[in-house]
Amino acid sequence: MPKVRLFSTPICPYCMTLKRFLTEKGIEFEAIDVTQDIKAQDEMIEKTKQSTVPVLDIGGEFIVGFDRELIIKKLNIKD
Amino acid sequence: MIYDLIIIGLGPAGITAGIYAKRQNLDCLVVGKSFGGQMMNKSVDIENYPGFEKISGFDLMEKMREQLVQKGVQIIEDEVLEVKKKDNFFKVTLSSKEFHSKSIIIATGSSYRCLGVEGENNYLGRGVSYCTTCDGPLFRNKVVAVIGGGEAGFEAARFLSSYASKVYILEKGIEVLASKSNQEIVSSLYPKIEVILEVEMKKIEGEEMVKKIVFKKGEDEIILPVDGVFIQIGYVPASSIFNGLVDLSNRNEILINKETCETSTQGIFAAGDVSDGKVKQIVVACGEGAKAAMSVYKYLNKK
Repeated sequence: MPKVRLFSTPICPYCMTLKRFLTEKGIEFEAIDVTQDIKAQDEMIEKTKQSTVPVLDIGGEFIVGFDRELIIKKLNIKD
Repeated sequence: MIYDLIIIGLGPAGITAGIYAKRQNLDCLVVGKSFGGQMMNKSVDIENYPGFEKISGFDLMEKMREQLVQKGVQIIEDEVLEVKKKDNFFKVTLSSKEFHSKSIIIATGSSYRCLGVEGENNYLGRGVSYCTTCDGPLFRNKVVAVIGGGEAGFEAARFLSSYASKVYILEKGIEVLASKSNQEIVSSLYPKIEVILEVEMKKIEGEEMVKKIVFKKGEDEIILPVDGVFIQIGYVPASSIFNGLVDLSNRNEILINKETCETSTQGIFAAGDVSDGKVKQIVVACGEGAKAAMSVYKYLNKK
C-alpha cells in the first residue's frame, strides 16, 4: 500500500467524510491539519495548484476533494 | 436486497428521518455526499436549537451523526447521481453502487447559489470558494473578498478575519441585508472588514490563482486585488436530479403535503430545505424529517 496523507482543515465536511471513509476501509494514513502545519499547507497548494481541502496524497499522487470513485481506484480497494 | 426506505441527504432532516425510521424497525439506508449540509458551513454558533444555548454547526452535526450511527442505521457517504421509479420500486444510483427501495425520502437540502460571473468556475478551488469554514484557514495573511452582504456574508467575513489580513464584503444593493446586531459587531470589533455597497460584479481574474476581481460601482470600473473570493449569496434547493421525478415549485423546491411530506409521486417523500416549506431552519428540517419517516411507515403498512 502506498503512503497515504490526508491534508485537511478542522471544520470541513468533506475532510471529515474522507477521514471516516479511510478509517472504515482500514487504510493507514497520516492526518495533517494544514492550519497548524504551514509547511504542509504550502506543499499541498504547490502540488495541487489549488487552495481548497481535502487533499489526499496517495504515494505522491494528489487528489483534490472527496472523489470516492477515484480514491477507491487509486487505493485499489473494494467498495 | 430491497430496502423499505432510502433516505437521500445527511443533514438534519435526513438524519432525523433515519432515527425515526430505525425506531419503527424499517430497513433503511441513509445516503448523501457528506454529513452536515449547510450546518457544517456555518461560521458562527447556532443559538436557536433547543437543548443547546450555543453550539457550533460542526458540534451539533457530530452529535446528530453519532446518534444515527449509534442507532445502527446503515449509512453511505457517496453522491446520489440518479433516482428512478421502476414498477413499484425505486432505483437509487450512487457514484459506485446501485440500491433499491420501496420508498424514498428526499432530504438533500440546498446548494450554494453561484454568482454566474466570468472566472467563477475557472478559479473554483484556486481562490474561489463557497465553503468559508473549509478553505478560509488557507488564506492566512491574504486579502479576501466576500460576495454578499447578507447574514451569511457577514458571518463568513467574521470567520475570515481570524486568518486574512483584509476582508472586503461586496454587496450589490444600496444597503446590506445582515441583521443590525451583526452589522454592529462587525463595525465595532472587526477593523479588518470593509463593506463596499452597490457592487456589480463583472469578473474574477488571475493566473494560476485568483489575483483580482473586477466590478462596476456606478459609472466606475474598479479592479480590486484579492487572493480569495468567498461567495455567500444564498442557496438554491438541491433538487435538480429529481426534476421530472417529483413536481417542483417555480423556485425548484419539491412540492409537499405539509402534513405528511408526501410529494406528487407515490412512495416519495421530501423533508427539510429542499421542500417548499416556508421556514428554513434546522429545527424545522428535523421536524419535517420526523413527519416524513412516520408517513413512510404508514404508507408501507397500507401497501
